[in-house]
Amino acid sequence: MALLSVKNLHAYYQTEVYGISRTVRAVDGVSFDLFPNEIYGVAGESSCGKTTLIKVISGSIKPPLKALEGSVNYTFGDYSVDMLRASQDELRQNVRWKEISYVMQGSMSVLNPVRRVIATFRDIVDTHEGITDKQKFLEQTRAHVNRLGLPTDVLDAYPHQLSGGMRQRVAIALATVFQPSLIIADEPTTALDVVVQRGVLQMIKEIQAISSNTVLLVTHDMAVHANVADRLMIMYAGRIAEEGPTETIFNEPLHPYTQHLIRSLPMIGERSTKVSLEGAPPNLAHPPTGCRFHPRCPYVMDVCRTEVPELVTVKERHRVACHLVKEDSL
Amino acid sequence: MGMALMRKFIFRYLIPRIIQYLTIIFVGITVTFIIPRLAPTDPVEAQVSTMVAMGSSLDPESIEAMRTALTDLYGLSGSPVEQYFTFWGRLFRGDLGPSLDNFPTPVSSMIGQALPYTLRLLIPAVIISFIFGNVFGAMSSYYPENKALKVIEVLGQVVRSIPYYIVAIVLLVVFAYFIPIFPFSGAYPLGTRPDWSSPEFILKTIEHAVLPAATLILIGFGGWFVGMKSLTSNIISEDYVVYAETAGLRKNTILTQYIMRTAILPQLTALAMVIGTVFSGALIMEVVFGYPGIGGLAIRAIYSNDYSMIMGITIYSIIGVATAVFVMDLLYPLFDPRVRYQ
Repeated sequence: MALLSVKNLHAYYQTEVYGISRTVRAVDGVSFDLFPNEIYGVAGESSCGKTTLIKVISGSIKPPLKALEGSVNYTFGDYSVDMLRASQDELRQNVRWKEISYVMQGSMSVLNPVRRVIATFRDIVDTHEGITDKQKFLEQTRAHVNRLGLPTDVLDAYPHQLSGGMRQRVAIALATVFQPSLIIADEPTTALDVVVQRGVLQMIKEIQAISSNTVLLVTHDMAVHANVADRLMIMYAGRIAEEGPTETIFNEPLHPYTQHLIRSLPMIGERSTKVSLEGAPPNLAHPPTGCRFHPRCPYVMDVCRTEVPELVTVKERHRVACHLVKEDSL
Repeated sequence: MGMALMRKFIFRYLIPRIIQYLTIIFVGITVTFIIPRLAPTDPVEAQVSTMVAMGSSLDPESIEAMRTALTDLYGLSGSPVEQYFTFWGRLFRGDLGPSLDNFPTPVSSMIGQALPYTLRLLIPAVIISFIFGNVFGAMSSYYPENKALKVIEVLGQVVRSIPYYIVAIVLLVVFAYFIPIFPFSGAYPLGTRPDWSSPEFILKTIEHAVLPAATLILIGFGGWFVGMKSLTSNIISEDYVVYAETAGLRKNTILTQYIMRTAILPQLTALAMVIGTVFSGALIMEVVFGYPGIGGLAIRAIYSNDYSMIMGITIYSIIGVATAVFVMDLLYPLFDPRVRYQ
């Protein structure tokens, strides 16, 4: 049973200034499932729709962003919820933080600068469970923070007194107070040095191993995915290019874009120069026709310019959207 | 640990600020000393000629004696350096010289009489407009769809763009003439003697203060409202606010603890400045309402070239602003942990 089932999701930014309307097709026909107890990675260059996808599946849709088509359905045990139709009150009461929590992009600045860290814990716990016994809340929070390997001192500190890595860990501790079914982590290691990155990733992995929940890890950093993710989705220009188990993606990438991403990773002992992909991701207000990758693709064919390639399953759990690959080709 | 922090607080925070505070007052008062002395008019001559013009038949000798006495009284005898030292000496004794307009009443006693009226009116008015302006300003940027808040914003903007003496006159005409529920002018009924032990008298003074206070509150409200609205509109998109929303926190918690708590900081500094300027009164407002405060005193002093009074009020104002800013500086770490002990 899937924890989250996204079907044919279209989410656009629609703005109108001086009568000129503009539509940015940030997420354009995305379907995928998330299962309990896995780390699912979402990769892709900047402005390929990763953050928009997260906004929609976490239920933070605010104008000008609109979900025009498709469905986002969650199943938590015997409680299920349609993210696009549920009321804000229902989400607040049953879903937010208790079932789905969020480690934001730029998590280092998610803490209120003028209050102690404990105050943010108090607000979150008080909103979702209510605090009746202050002493018990303090003890539980200290225990929780300790379990994640953080000193209890951080609770009494102000955000500016903590290092970036520490703040990131605090954000993860905040996201896990209620043992949610799904933790969405948006670029959790960006802007951290590699040593701290490793610590943060290990923390995420450990939490996932202990509580067997699902982590949706979004980052452009393929090395992070290689280390952490069980399954991987490669997004390009608002669509899924390829999806599959991380090992398969790294060992036999089928989409030319995935191949490029992987080739760009440095290997130990390797001495060749890295070739970067020509051009930049398309402007999603005017995406290219056919396959959106065709202007940059080295193997471009005529059909790519006119027809949108369908996402086909090539092997068990390995899906790819490319005209080079046919369902029966492997 | 406690001792070390205390020492750090005293030497790194308190003492530099005390030095800064005293320097500001010293420079300000020195400038107040210099400027009138650069002016082309001579207050002593002006005074003497008024007296002569008023027809007092005085022989040249007594005019000369009067001139010497006045020069001495105004602290204008001796070299500028000597004058400067006499000036500070008198200031420390609380002597600001005699009022020229109400000769020989000392300036300090006239200010002493007017100041309580001004403070009783202005400080509550400033605080009320500060609270309402900031609360509504923050709410209007957090709840942009709310109709009632939109109406309040428009009203605030309209009132703010009208010159405040017009607002004062409109209130006066409406609530003292057409609907006579409030008195026309003064701080207490004409003909009564101020008696601060009688509750009846105090009630009367409050009644007299309503319209001037309402003018000040209406004018101040718009300013605080606009300031707070623009401050909060930036903070609303800060990561920690978006995060609090994603975490599903209550709207009220987000508004007060996440948005207003940070947005209010620059407003507090502005509040200190406004409270400081209260010591120079609300000039035109006090004239319109015939209110016996510092503002009225200042206007009359300017009309009648009452140098010592103008200087006296200026000195009060300098000390007022400097003290308010100094106090706010000391209290600021309580509101913003980021500046603690820096």
